[in-house]
This record gives sequence, C-alpha cells and structure tokens, in this order.
Amino acid sequence: MTADLTCYGDLTPLHGVVGDFDLRSPMDVHTWYHDQWRSIADPLGFTQAHEAELSRVSASSIDVNTRIRASNTAGINAFARALRDRDDGVTAAHARVQEGVLRQLLVDGQTSGQLWRVTADPMTVTAGACYPDADGQLSRAFYPDPSPGYFGDGWRGPPPPAESACGWTTPLTLHLGTFPWVYSTRLESSPAALRWTHSTLQPAIVGMTALAHLLEPAGNLRQDASQVAAIYQHFRAQTEPLILRLPQWQVGRAQAGTLYSRAGRLHVHQGSTQIAGLMGPRGWISAPAYNYCVTRFAAFFALRRAILRALPAFPELRQLAASSPDPCLHAQLKEARLAV
Amino acid sequence: MKISTAIAGAAGVVGIAGLLLYSGRASASSSPPGGAPPLGGDTPPPGGDTPPPVGELAPLPTAADVSGNLTKWGETPTDLRPLFVLMEETSKIAGSARIFAVIASRESKFDVAAHNGDGEHEAAERAASRRAYDNNKGRNPALRHGEAAADFGSGGLFGALAPYFLWTGVLELKSKAPLLNAPPELMFQPRAAAFAACVYLQRLLAHYRIDDHADIKAGWASPSLLTGDRSAKTYLDVRARFLADAQALGVDLRDPTTIPIKLSASAWPGVSAVFSKLVGALPQELG
Repeated sequence: MTADLTCYGDLTPLHGVVGDFDLRSPMDVHTWYHDQWRSIADPLGFTQAHEAELSRVSASSIDVNTRIRASNTAGINAFARALRDRDDGVTAAHARVQEGVLRQLLVDGQTSGQLWRVTADPMTVTAGACYPDADGQLSRAFYPDPSPGYFGDGWRGPPPPAESACGWTTPLTLHLGTFPWVYSTRLESSPAALRWTHSTLQPAIVGMTALAHLLEPAGNLRQDASQVAAIYQHFRAQTEPLILRLPQWQVGRAQAGTLYSRAGRLHVHQGSTQIAGLMGPRGWISAPAYNYCVTRFAAFFALRRAILRALPAFPELRQLAASSPDPCLHAQLKEARLAV
Repeated sequence: MKISTAIAGAAGVVGIAGLLLYSGRASASSSPPGGAPPLGGDTPPPGGDTPPPVGELAPLPTAADVSGNLTKWGETPTDLRPLFVLMEETSKIAGSARIFAVIASRESKFDVAAHNGDGEHEAAERAASRRAYDNNKGRNPALRHGEAAADFGSGGLFGALAPYFLWTGVLELKSKAPLLNAPPELMFQPRAAAFAACVYLQRLLAHYRIDDHADIKAGWASPSLLTGDRSAKTYLDVRARFLADAQALGVDLRDPTTIPIKLSASAWPGVSAVFSKLVGALPQELG
C-alpha cells in the first residue's frame, strides 16, 4: 500500500521531524507513542507524571490497539495529574462554560472530520460561550481569534446571526490539533489553554482529549487531512522565511545561548527554548510553540502514512478509510485496490 | 545591551570568595515581546562561520536526570527546571532549586548567555570586574585568563562577575580550584554557572546570617548587605525585588512542600563533589 501523501501538498519539511513507524509492530507502536507523548509532556512540564503513568501500563499487552489506547490514556492522566499542581487559571463559572463548549466541539469535530480546527457560531454552544465574571458581567469564555495569524488568514465572518450577550462578533475558532496552542495569534511560550484549569473543573483535559483522539488511528482517519495540510502550509509559509534566517546547528560549532535551526525544529544551544522565538509579520511565535506545532503536524502525517501502509492488516481502518469524504484517501485506496 | 545595576562594591566579597552578583537584569539574547530584540530578526544567515565554542560541557540535564518535583514552578522554563533541581540535589541544600530559579529570573531572564559588560554603555560592569580582579589577584591563585576576566563584566544564568566566577572554590581547594584555567566565557555554559552558584549559596548559608529567603538575594547582590545596616535602603530594595520576582514567576516561597522555611547547607558535600556532579571533567584545554 502506498503511503504517498503528495495529494496534500509538499510535506517534505516534516519528514525529518517525526519518524515513520510500522503500525503492525507492537514495539514500533510502543516507541512511537512514547516519543509522541514525550514531545507533548516535555514542553508542557509533565514529563515526570507521564513516566509515572507509563509505569502503570501493563507491558504484557501486545495488541497494538490496546497499546495505543493505553499510551493515550496514560498521557491524558499524566496531564490531568500535572494540572492539579497548577493554580486556578479561570473561575469555576468560566471553567464550566469552557468545558461544556469544548465537549460539544469535540463531538462536532469528530463527526465532521474537522477536529484539528473547530469553528462554531458561539450562539450555538453552551451558554453562548459566555460566562459571568466576578461582577456578574458576561464575558467571552474564549479569546476571539479572528485576525490573520500563523494558522490562517483570519475568520472575520459570518458574524453570529443573533446578538451575543458577551460581545461575540466572530465565529469561535480553536485549533485543537495543536492544543494547548489553540489560537492562531497567540503562540507565546506559555500556551493560553494551559490556563483552562480550576480546582473543580478541568476544561484543559477535554482539549487534551481532542489531541489524543487525533493520535488514535481511527481519529486520524476521521480527521480531514486536507484541513490539517492547509493549516500546515499556511504555518510553513509564515514561518519558513523566519527559520531561513537562522544559523544551522552544527556539532562542535554551536554557541551557548544562541538560537539555531536544527532538524526542523528550533534549538537554543545549552539554553532554554522557552525564552526564544521569532518575530514575523504575524507577530511573535515562541520557540516552544513552533517546535510543538511542527511536531504535531509531522506526527499527524507520520501516523497517516503508517495507517496507509498497514491498511491491509486492519479491516476496520480500511472500512473507515473507505467511508471518509477525503478524495485523497479514496485515491490511495483505489490505487491499492483496497476500496471496500 | 542593558546595563545592570551594581548595588554593591567589591568590598567584603573576598571573605566569601566565589562570586559577586548583580541584581539588574543581564542582557538577553532572545526574549518575548517587550524584552530585547528577538532572535530571528537580525541573526546571521545559515553557514555563518562562527568560531568553535570554548569548553563545551555536557548538555542541560533533563527530567530523566533528576528525581525532584518538576511541577509547582510557576512560569520557570520547563527545560531549565531539571538544571535547578540538579543543583539542589547535588548541593544537598533542600529547597534551593526554586530559589535559584527566582535569582536567575532577575539576573539573566533565564538567558544562559546573558552578558553585562560587552555593551558600549556597560562600563560600570567592566569596572566592577576589573576592580574585583585587581583587588584580589594578589591573594588568590592566578587565573590563566585573568586580564580577560577583569575586562569581562558579569554574566551567565546567575549573573556572576567574571573573576569571582573563575575563583570559585579557591577557599576550599586553593590552587586546585577547578576553573582557574578557564576563560570567562565558560560562565555561559549553564552547568558551569550552576556550579559557581551552588558554591556561592553554600557559603552564604554557612557564613552569614540568613533570616529568610529574601536574605539570600541580598547576599547574592553583596555579602556586605548582610553584615551592614539591615534597615538600609539597598538591602530592603533587593529583598523587595526578590519577593516581587518570585511572585511574578509564580514560585510560592511559602510552600513548605517545595521550600523549607530556612535553607541549610549542613549537608554540603564539598566543592569537588559538586563540581564533579554538575560539570564533570573540564575539556582538556581548560583542565
């Protein structure tokens, strides 16, 4: 089965960022998913919790589906555990609305195949995506993100058909595929969605669940890859000119504290990536945000390639691929004569 | 480059040896909006022919290298937390990791290559390092790069003044102190900066009256602040800045699960042991 993804455009810069693997190999699956969750846990600061959760996962389960589910569950549980050590980022009222909206968007995104970037009329989601602040005034539960940014050229319309009680004039747009960097115009080192936490409710966990869903083979297949590709190509067009101005990291030549381009990522030699970043026409993009996003794009397409290579061995995935509206996927199935 | 604010002279520093540290922010080579110009704007093109670095040490430690808790650190960069924890675990000064983080947030804004002294308007930093060198070279072992250190100013993650950085450990090890042959640029290697910071903290705790965590920062600025009038404006200002820095960073200095009420260096394993664990062997040309 071919794993050619050129139908989605030029993805070659992503090839070196996340390695390919064999979805039929339990060991490959174990290593790949461990690496993916490390790439999530490290910049978000829950590496230790992740390792602790992994130690509870039974090593005896050799079925790849079981292994993948266990890996993703361990990742989400570790994230939840780390969130408990954080101070409240939002009020209970705010968290309640955020969680309701996110649950709804998660279901809608899975159904529509547009989970990577969810867009909704705020009037159609929980409480109109409004929450009462300390003074009883209604505020927007999420940042309105309509301006041109690193994930797109903005979402100016159409405006909500009814008047929002808290001032929404644009669609609610969240990039759950790069959770917790969910806003196209806010790619600072500390991601906004990490503050979606309260001692009694953790909306951020719903966001992480969406991310984990995209790491499942079925979730990957349900996601419209052309949506991901379009966002990636935009991201690449905005960041590539900035990256090209950086020196390439070279063994034995690097200077401490200097920002380099290294294997498709940003790297501060002997220093912290979290204080580094790039300023471009679309604003500041922190190095951790860049690295995280490019890794998520690369992981999505690496998993898609792994699925395509392994389709003959997984009838349920073959069926899912056949029912996908994605024309590229159909072409690949046809080429491999695997259409159901 | 920004000028850091020297808050104390070199007087009184010799007794503690090691470092003289400044409380101003060192210049950062990269920073988010509102800070210094970001990298990427004026960086050299790929293939820039930079000279090889001097004294390349082991890379930053990772979460796998430490056992201490890496949560409850506020906005401390996640990729530097293991270094701070390793400093605490190596020095055996319980609770020191987050204190080091708060200090680094002011001294360098977490930029390992922060350097005060290379800018046109940083003559005060260079004068301070020159003074430190001239006043102490007669009583301390010779530095191979003494003149360079004298003209260097201060820098690194913890804002070390170059001559004192290179003399780290001389009180304990005399002419066997490990950095005597190193160039001052070694302070940009975070493991070397961490070693010097651990030694300095140990000496503060062991030899000065440290009433609370804010006193550590006062001693970091200058030990003379700890021996002088404790109602002096400079002493109080340094303490206030430290407490504000901790709050801004999100480090809770009153959380006994992460930081004891008072730090203690009673379990200090010695300069050699700390150097060995944090830095390891220096490259041959520096040894």
